[in-house]
Amino acid sequence: MNRELLKNILFYTIILALQLLIFNQFKLFGFITPFIYLIIFVHYKITYDKTILLILGFLIGLIIDLSMQTYGCHTFSTITICYLRGRIEKNSFGVNANLPSAMIKDTPLFSRISFFLSLIAIHSIIYYSLIFFNINLLSTIFLYAFINSIATFIIIWIISRLISNN
Amino acid sequence: MQFIINSIVKNRNLIIYLILSFITFSFLYNNSTLHFNELGKISTYLSATSSKFSSSITSYFNLKKENEKLISENLQLKKMESNYKYTQIKEDTLNSINSAKVIVNSINKSKNIIIIDKGKLDSINLDTGVISSKGVVGIVKNVTNNYASIISLLNTDLRLNAILKNTSTIGSVTWDGLNARILKLNDIPLSSTIKVGDTVVTGGMSFYFPKGIPIGKIINYDNSSLEGYYEIDVEIFNDFSSLSNLYILNRTDNNEIQSLLNE
Repeated sequence: MNRELLKNILFYTIILALQLLIFNQFKLFGFITPFIYLIIFVHYKITYDKTILLILGFLIGLIIDLSMQTYGCHTFSTITICYLRGRIEKNSFGVNANLPSAMIKDTPLFSRISFFLSLIAIHSIIYYSLIFFNINLLSTIFLYAFINSIATFIIIWIISRLISNN
Repeated sequence: MQFIINSIVKNRNLIIYLILSFITFSFLYNNSTLHFNELGKISTYLSATSSKFSSSITSYFNLKKENEKLISENLQLKKMESNYKYTQIKEDTLNSINSAKVIVNSINKSKNIIIIDKGKLDSINLDTGVISSKGVVGIVKNVTNNYASIISLLNTDLRLNAILKNTSTIGSVTWDGLNARILKLNDIPLSSTIKVGDTVVTGGMSFYFPKGIPIGKIINYDNSSLEGYYEIDVEIFNDFSSLSNLYILNRTDNNEIQSLLNE
């Protein structure tokens, strides 16, 4: 258990460092910043406590907000996907929702893509809604959320493949 | 108690989520000018909407009070109007106007009577004119301590002195007992020029009403009479089916004029 905990802490630290040091400086087309820290919530095992997941989401979101000066936009988006994660799992995996990991082998590819995309898209929509905070900019919010979700999804998918291969 | 604790434990994730959301939004509100302004707008809108809703409810319950206040204001305005408008009457002859509410009214008889909730104790006198905000209503015919009856314009016994507002041609209005919206204007000679839409007002040659109080407007006339007078239909300004608040004009010189006539 302690070994697994250490492994997880190391994983979270590396992902956070990658986000803060590399991806936060990354501005594709001037606005695309992939939120690779979402991989932490994608790979959070379903057997772990959901309350811990919420608190973890809050802390990680707060760290990202402090580093990006977004005043709570990341935090709220993150705790929301942490809270909704159980329902998204059920929607994506159906009867196989009680699997120990989302990236487990033998789950249907479509279910995995649906799970990844749902988490990332919900996060992006909430994040950009809070960033713009203007109902008149709804089309801009969805455009940014869509492009950013695709970019984030591609990077997270690649990292997930690398992790599962190892 | 156990039930409450169980509910909290069962919904702990939702409670934690709400608490963390609250903390996040406080952080947003306090640190971001954009969110401070926008959340301020939402808060203003919500408070204004809720205030409007609650005030619409409270104002409904205050309607009676508001109505009484408006009647009182209207009475004051009528008094002021009487001082300016009816200049041919000495200022102290129309010394008071009382307001009253209709408690009995009819329009479907040939001799319609209105009863009001004011009487002798409220300084209502016999043979005084009664008007509403739209014009002439009738004349006080009987008074008890607390009530008074009024001969309505819709009473075939009433004949009221009237003039055409534009030409000052003198005539009299009566009701033929048929249509509650139409009076007959009599005694207007064919030599006078009239047209549809002309206003008919009180002529001032009676104890009851000063000159110039509106009665109605001409809607139809017939000049084919062999007697040398028009047959004129006048539409009444007042809707007698919905009378509510009336004003009683008390003239102080009625007795003086009456005594001259009796001599």
